[in-house]
Amino acid sequence: MTMYRPNMSEIKPTDPAATNAGEEKDWTASKACSDSLKTEKLKPPKPQNAVTIAVSSRTLFNMDEERKIYEEEGVEKYMAYMNQQEHENEPLMPGVAFPLVKALMTVNSRLRQLYPDSEELFDIVLMTNNHAQVGVRLINSINHYDLTIERFCMTGGKSPIGYLKAYMTNLYLSKDGEKVTEAIEEGIAAATMFASGDVENQLSDTQLKVAFDGDAVLFSDESEIIAKQRGLDKFFEHEQEFENIPLKKGPLKCFLEALGKLQRKFYAKNERMTCPIRTYLVTARSAASSGARVLKTLRSWGLEIDEALFLAGAPKGPLLQMIRPHIFFDDQMFHIEGAKKLGTIAAHVPYGIGQKYHKGELIEQPVKDKK
Amino acid sequence: MDSMVRNPDVKQRDAAQAVVVAVSSDAIFTPEVEQVHGATEPLRKGDAFSFMKAIQVVNERLLTLNSDETLLFDVILLSNDSEEKHSRIIASAKHYGLDIGRFCFCNKEDSIESLQSNNVKLFLSTDTNDVCKALQKGVPAALLYHQTDPHHQTEDQLKVVFSGDVIGSSEEMLHGLREQGFTETQLQGFKTAKGSVKEFAILMGEMRRRFGLEGSPLCTGLMTAWSSRDVCASALKTLRGWGLLVDEAFCLAGAPRSPILNLVRPHIICLDGLYHMEGFTAMS
Repeated sequence: MTMYRPNMSEIKPTDPAATNAGEEKDWTASKACSDSLKTEKLKPPKPQNAVTIAVSSRTLFNMDEERKIYEEEGVEKYMAYMNQQEHENEPLMPGVAFPLVKALMTVNSRLRQLYPDSEELFDIVLMTNNHAQVGVRLINSINHYDLTIERFCMTGGKSPIGYLKAYMTNLYLSKDGEKVTEAIEEGIAAATMFASGDVENQLSDTQLKVAFDGDAVLFSDESEIIAKQRGLDKFFEHEQEFENIPLKKGPLKCFLEALGKLQRKFYAKNERMTCPIRTYLVTARSAASSGARVLKTLRSWGLEIDEALFLAGAPKGPLLQMIRPHIFFDDQMFHIEGAKKLGTIAAHVPYGIGQKYHKGELIEQPVKDKK
Repeated sequence: MDSMVRNPDVKQRDAAQAVVVAVSSDAIFTPEVEQVHGATEPLRKGDAFSFMKAIQVVNERLLTLNSDETLLFDVILLSNDSEEKHSRIIASAKHYGLDIGRFCFCNKEDSIESLQSNNVKLFLSTDTNDVCKALQKGVPAALLYHQTDPHHQTEDQLKVVFSGDVIGSSEEMLHGLREQGFTETQLQGFKTAKGSVKEFAILMGEMRRRFGLEGSPLCTGLMTAWSSRDVCASALKTLRGWGLLVDEAFCLAGAPRSPILNLVRPHIICLDGLYHMEGFTAMS
């Protein structure tokens, strides 16, 4: 059976911008800049070749105190606070996406060792609707932790969604559920991050671990709809009947695909056992009655997942606590809360039928007023 | 030799206090493919039209805040057209109600001198070659960005983008550019861009401060196309020192500019003077 191996540009949510003479000159000039600095800093990859992860300022750094000022005293007071000299030079504390960013950087060093000329790397972009004046403090903080974040967009209050596409973003992480929902509606993998307590020193610093829920994350919510509306028995019946029909893809499928492509670069150099990327499927499905369809779907997509864990309805929290992923994606807040309680860094994917239910009960949807 | 014609329909600004900008007539009115003798109908709108409308909005808002305001945009239309077209240009400006203070008709060779003798702070053109040539000759110039999407023209807010590569640059950077093969001519453009941006940035900063953080008819931005984040931070601090607190900032680190510019949709882009030069050969 032939395996489908996509090009990086096929995984990108939009077509790569055609390079023209102007862009080549930008590229040459950027080389001049990085050479002239004579530092260890390496040039960031071209967006169409990289796996682009966009993080908001509040997920990268802990800005709770600052956020409070913004919400209670307004934008002018917030700006005044941020611009004060003593605050500007004060590095911000690491935020919920910080461990993930460090892990991505570790993978990049390993990739550069094996493939010094390749641009198939992670490219981390800071995407914030903060005002540009906050930029100095953000850059100072990035310098303090020596993070390889060279690209950023500070939109001064406007929506960052268009810029996500412009940077060919593979994954967007934010604390703002509305922006995340908008991104998903535009076809960009995205998730809302929550604070989870200080687990940084317990996470692996040599291997990036990413855990995914199955239905409505990697896969569409088609089966979940059946489970919610017609009950578990009907769900099992349906999944067994349709075992050989692949599920449709969900919002995070392309991100798993991008991770898989990077993993295969390690395998190609005989580094399977020491691969610095490991993926997990953590699903409420049970292996016996509904698991086969999931594995067959992944196989039909040519994707591998390192560990598939079927919980048959048991809570996900304790298992995730053992895995200690740098990020865990799930569409249901119930599972996010369970994960958080036991210290896992959890990210909510606001997609599908799961948004209308909480703990199995249908939530009363408030009437949405058009903005 | 030039001839300056004041526009009787527009209240003349105090040129010493105003932000005098010169705009090429080919940018305001689309050049005609065939010159029809004796034609009198208004010329067609050019690529700089939304810019002209946005400038008008800024001036109106400034005057609403202070009817005696002198820090206003003062537009000179610069035309190298033949004499028979002069009255048609003036009539077209009147037809569209454009806020053009003066018309400057001169030969192409005399354009630079005209700009210099009229206290022009910035020469604006939609042609990057014209902009780069002006910079090479020491004339402050910037690009009028051609917004290609007719359904998304920004007319209610003027957007000006500055170059972080220029403002935050260092001597070492110039040396690096030389090593990468950029010519002395191109580097001269870069140096002029750096030398001339300060005055314009100070004026924009002062104008921007007339308005609050939100709802301003003037929006300023910084784009660092190929330099590092430290150059970007240095540019932000430099601009702040000059009194300009930019609203938006983008650091591209070599990523393609067009997708970002298509979203930012600026009217004025202060170039770095290196690009779109004739005879430029592709770098390996």
